[in-house]
Amino acid sequence: MKFTPKRLDGNVNVSRTHPLAELSWLLGGLILITALVFFALGYSADWAATKAPISVENWLGRQALSHFPADENPALKQQLQALLDSLPADSPLHQYNFRVFLSPSDEVNAVALPGGNIVVFSGLLKQIESENELAMILAHELGHFAHRDHLRGLGRGLGLAVAATLLFGQDNAASSLVSNTLLTFQLRYSQTQESAADSFGLDLLNQRYGHVGGSTDFFARMAKKAGGKIPYLLASHPHPEARIEQLEGLVAKKGYKVEMTYPLAEGLRTVGQ
Amino acid sequence: MILTNVSNVPGKKIVEHFGIVQGSTVRAKHIGRDFMAGLKNLVGGELKGYTELLQDSREEAMNRMSEQARQMGANAVVNIRFATSSVAQGAAELFVYGTAVQVE
Amino acid sequence: MEVILQNFDLVIFLFLLCLGYVAGSIAEKRHYKSILQREDELLKLPVVTAEARFSDGRVQKAELVTGSAVISIDYFKRLLAILRNIFGGRVGAYETLVDRARREAILRMKQAARDQGAGMIVNMRLETAAIGNNANGKRQIASVEAIAYGTAIVFNPK
Repeated sequence: MKFTPKRLDGNVNVSRTHPLAELSWLLGGLILITALVFFALGYSADWAATKAPISVENWLGRQALSHFPADENPALKQQLQALLDSLPADSPLHQYNFRVFLSPSDEVNAVALPGGNIVVFSGLLKQIESENELAMILAHELGHFAHRDHLRGLGRGLGLAVAATLLFGQDNAASSLVSNTLLTFQLRYSQTQESAADSFGLDLLNQRYGHVGGSTDFFARMAKKAGGKIPYLLASHPHPEARIEQLEGLVAKKGYKVEMTYPLAEGLRTVGQ
Repeated sequence: MILTNVSNVPGKKIVEHFGIVQGSTVRAKHIGRDFMAGLKNLVGGELKGYTELLQDSREEAMNRMSEQARQMGANAVVNIRFATSSVAQGAAELFVYGTAVQVE
Repeated sequence: MEVILQNFDLVIFLFLLCLGYVAGSIAEKRHYKSILQREDELLKLPVVTAEARFSDGRVQKAELVTGSAVISIDYFKRLLAILRNIFGGRVGAYETLVDRARREAILRMKQAARDQGAGMIVNMRLETAAIGNNANGKRQIASVEAIAYGTAIVFNPK
């Protein structure tokens, strides 16, 4: 039998597409599908959150509270009650049994937990100089409750995590890639929630005092320490300067007055020392 | 292109041979099939999705091998063997190889 | 600067990706060049997958020869494969992998036969296997081993 060796050009066993082109197609498709699922889940979670009954929220609240070591503070509750009394009688916020806690942590923050629980951190209280500022912050937290923000955040994040795990399996690299990218967009969403809460807080402040003096003082103090704007692109709160801008714009649009602020009540001032 | 898996083509005579030809493809299943297979795991039975997938892959591998043989100027491939192996999670490689010959 | 430090894993990931792509393409091209060159050299050695019967007195020696190679893919290709797993279809990243591994294995087998002075290899078989840490588990190292083995025939000088 004759043997004729033949040299072959080209390789039939390898596809012709360039790897970078393939990467862009696959990545593009993945991003598109993830975006679609993200928005679909987001809207359905939002819708579900607005329909959740307050009793469910109270139950969630009891669970969430166990994570924060804090004591109820009657002085803060007094301030909150004054704000609640300024709300219209048909406001759904009256269905909550609000409790205000003071946490000894030095963090400069206040957080709204499900079930009508507000936790204020000592670090925040130390930065406050007038009663109006405190009222603004409490009113901001009330804004979160009015918009059911905490439930929305919970619903969306959970829905996405569950979908990713169902599709890809628990430890799959694709699943973690998708979840990590989505987390950054989640933070962006809550910046819109913060702005809405700021707006609600401003209106409530005006109801309580008849003017909005002191609404921006706290943020102005924070703005001096805040630094650059870039980290705030993906943070959970907008940059303090941006918040001041928005508030001042609203004040001008709604024609609110700015008058003298009241100093902080005796019981709360000593917390700072 | 005549393909056989015996050492010759029955009824014909081999006059020349050109060497080994091989065809291979690597295919991955997509999430839809995975999901259906997961469901099938509950009731049992043939995984039609996977069978189709591997059938397509086998055809493509054979086509590639025939193409290589044609480039060599052969008109038959004898002594074909198949091999399947899993090269990574979720991807299977199908591989065919044989000797390219000229028959008359 | 802080943005880079905050997203450090993402930065490392992208860096490794680029490194994988560049280094991987260079290594692959170089390997293919070497393969093509050696294939040219060893072109004259016939290899068949069939059994062969030889007339008496032709065969001096028959010996089993093997050649094997283990090749692994780079980081960039691994990402491509992960994405492919979602959409299905032909995984181009692995095609070059197995192709290189097999051709390398065949060349090494031919070289071993040539070293023994063989004139032909009969009954060649090829096997492929995926190896690496937990080849069937989740943290696989996408590497493939190819073995080529056959019987090398050393002919009696005429």
